[in-house]
Formats: sequence, C-alpha cells, structure tokens
Amino acid sequence: MQRKLLYSINLMLVMLFSLTSNAQEEQSETTADTLVYKQKYGIRVGGDFGKIIRTLIDEDYTGFEINADYRLTKNIYLAGEIGTEERSVITDFLDVTATGSYFKAGFDYNSYTNWLDMQNMIFFGFRGGVSSFSQDINQFTVYNTDQYWNAPFTDTTTQEFKGLTAIWAELIIGIKAELVTNLYAGLNVQIKSMISQDQPDGFENLYVPGFNRTYDSGRFGIGFGYTISYLIPIFKKDKTVVLDSEEN
Amino acid sequence: MKIENLKNLILKASFLSLLALAIWSCERDDICAEATATTPNLIIRFYDINNQDEFKSVRQLTVRGLDDFGVPGNEITLPSVSPDSIALPLRFANEDIETITRFQLEKDSDFATNGNDTNDSNIDVIEVRYTPEFVYVSRACGFKSIFNFGNTGGVSIDPDGDNWIINTDIINQTIDNENAAQVIIFH
Repeated sequence: MQRKLLYSINLMLVMLFSLTSNAQEEQSETTADTLVYKQKYGIRVGGDFGKIIRTLIDEDYTGFEINADYRLTKNIYLAGEIGTEERSVITDFLDVTATGSYFKAGFDYNSYTNWLDMQNMIFFGFRGGVSSFSQDINQFTVYNTDQYWNAPFTDTTTQEFKGLTAIWAELIIGIKAELVTNLYAGLNVQIKSMISQDQPDGFENLYVPGFNRTYDSGRFGIGFGYTISYLIPIFKKDKTVVLDSEEN
Repeated sequence: MKIENLKNLILKASFLSLLALAIWSCERDDICAEATATTPNLIIRFYDINNQDEFKSVRQLTVRGLDDFGVPGNEITLPSVSPDSIALPLRFANEDIETITRFQLEKDSDFATNGNDTNDSNIDVIEVRYTPEFVYVSRACGFKSIFNFGNTGGVSIDPDGDNWIINTDIINQTIDNENAAQVIIFH
C-alpha cells in the first residue's frame, strides 16, 4: 500500500516539475542576438522531506537527511548527503530493527540546458556511500510447515548486532526545479550496488540505513529522494547565450 | 527549440519514472518458497533385523505423537499404509534446551479391533531426545530449527515385554534436512 502511495507521489512530482519548468520556459522572449545572464554559484543546502513525511505516517520508520551540493563548473556539482535512519522490518516470522547513520558523497552532472538565468536541473550523478549501523532481532517465529504439535514457537530473546558497516556505490538520476528565488524542490531515484557489508553472525542485514532494504536476489538496491533545498549564492558568473539566426 | 527542449524534458521525466517503476515492482523474495528447506521432520527408515541391509516395511502402521501426559494425539500422515520410511514432526520450544518427543508406533493396526487376542496389533513407544538449534534461512522464511542428537540425545524404545521394534540406530547426528534418514529402526 505504502509503496504504491510513495510511487504515486513520485509520479505526481515528476509531472509537476515538468509542468513548472515548462511554464517558465514559455515566458522567455529574446530580441538580441547575444545575451548575457548571471549564473549563480554557491552551496545549496536542504533536507529530504520524503523521509520526514514517512517518519510521520509510518510507525516502523524514522529518518532524516540533510543534503548539499556545490557548483563547480557550469554543469558539474559536488554533492553529498548525510542522514540517519531507523527501520523495523516486521513479517509473520521476523521482527528486526536496523538503526544507523550514513554519508554519501559524489558528483552531479546537469544535463538540462537552461533558459535565461534559470538554474533547473535534470541531473545524473554518482555517489559513494558508507553506513554505520546496528541490526537487532526483536523476535522471530521459527518457520515450521508442520503444525502437528502446536502453534509455531516464537523466540522473544533480543539479539543485537552492533558496529556493522556497509559500503556501496549509487547512480542517481533526478530533477531539481527552482520554485521561488533560490528555493529548489527536487526528486531523485538512486540505484545502489553494495560493495561490501558486515553481515551479522548467523543472520543477514535486511535493511541498511542509506542503502535501504536488501534483496536476496543480489546486491542491488533502490532509493527515492524528495528534497527541498536553498541556494546560498557565493558568486556569479556570466553565461553567454548566442541565439540561432534561424530563430524567429 | 523551445518545443524540443520541452520534449526532451518530458522524455527524460518519463524515462525516470518508468525506470523507477521497473525496479520498484520486481520484489520477489518476500514469500517463503515451498521448495525452501525449513524446519525438517525426523526421517526414520525400517530395516530387517535378520538381513540388516534390506528395507522392511511395517504392515499397517499407525503413528501418533504422545503429549506430556502420554495421551496419543492425532494420526501422523504416513507415505503409505505399510511404509518402510516415515517422517515425524518433532516438538521444540527454546533453543539449546534438550527436548523429548514420544511417539507410539502401532503395527498391524487393522487387527486392533478384530477381537482376536492371538492376532492383535502391537504398540511400541519410542522416545526421541534432541536439542533444537535455530538457523537463519532467508528474509521471507526467517529462521528454521534443526535438531542435534548430541552426546545425551538419541532414540530409545520403551520396553513392554512384547516389542516389535528390536533395535534402533542413529546414522545422522543432525536432523537438518529431509533428504536422508537420520534414524534406522530394525524389526
């Protein structure tokens, strides 16, 4: 249910952003052959509001993330995220809580050609991520298909696995749109690939903070980000736009 | 150029959401597959006491588990009416605590109600003693229990003066699968 909800929010945001940037584009009118626009360079700092909303509506989840990027060149940004998460995985047979914090750093490449002085982004990026976390088994019910004797046995002894670490790489694809001056809303998808992780003795990591849930089928994972960020301009650079002669 | 730009944007946005959908929807390992080996039953094979390499099926066998007070429970489903191997569910609770399950094995059970004293069924009781150990299987299946006979465990026959079970032998110290027998009963 919840995944479906998140997914529809995701879709709606995609549509919303394509509309807003579209609307901004249509306002542009050019008269001269060459135009010079000021491009802002600076640090953009924000948070993931998706994680905050999920914290409020999902009792098995608590999470918070701060993200930042710094514009290096016209299209390249230095980017990173730092966050903390607590997630309980509860099934009929397992009740496990993963708690920890993570740090991700990398680069974003803006592939979107902006009009005028706009600074919207459709970006592709790369991140390296590390997480330090613990994995606690709160209780489990032994899986037994034979019910001859009685109800399945539930072991309620808490087992804690502390001091676990994980390292992964991720590709990130996303959008950032300027809603009002210097305030950006963003949406991104992260495709993650686990490089190494400490597995608890006699158990496995079901959820890694920052990486999200793991899959039996392999080392890949996925994540979504819904960000609000504010650009703190540090300096400005000129952007020269040469208009095509064929343009009417 | 404006329209091209817009097209480009929409294209990329829809690609993005499609990609998300594709990856999001391929969750498959949340259901414990039936083929997964989870908590095993004890496998017993019946051999001929006079020819110890030969299987010997038990005629008209009925098996019931006995509770703590020795009261027989429901019939345990067997592979055939006169099987040469049976799979018995073991009781367990806490890990690492030696546990006992008792079974009554009734041979010639069709003779039980024929009123002929010289041709009656024969009930033997066996006691299986083992220690459960919990082993992680997967996200979907969680934990299973396997059973170790260890130094103090084993299978014993309650003597009743007229035992059809003559001897037992443990051929596998650990009950962790249902592919091969762990206990042999000679009769």
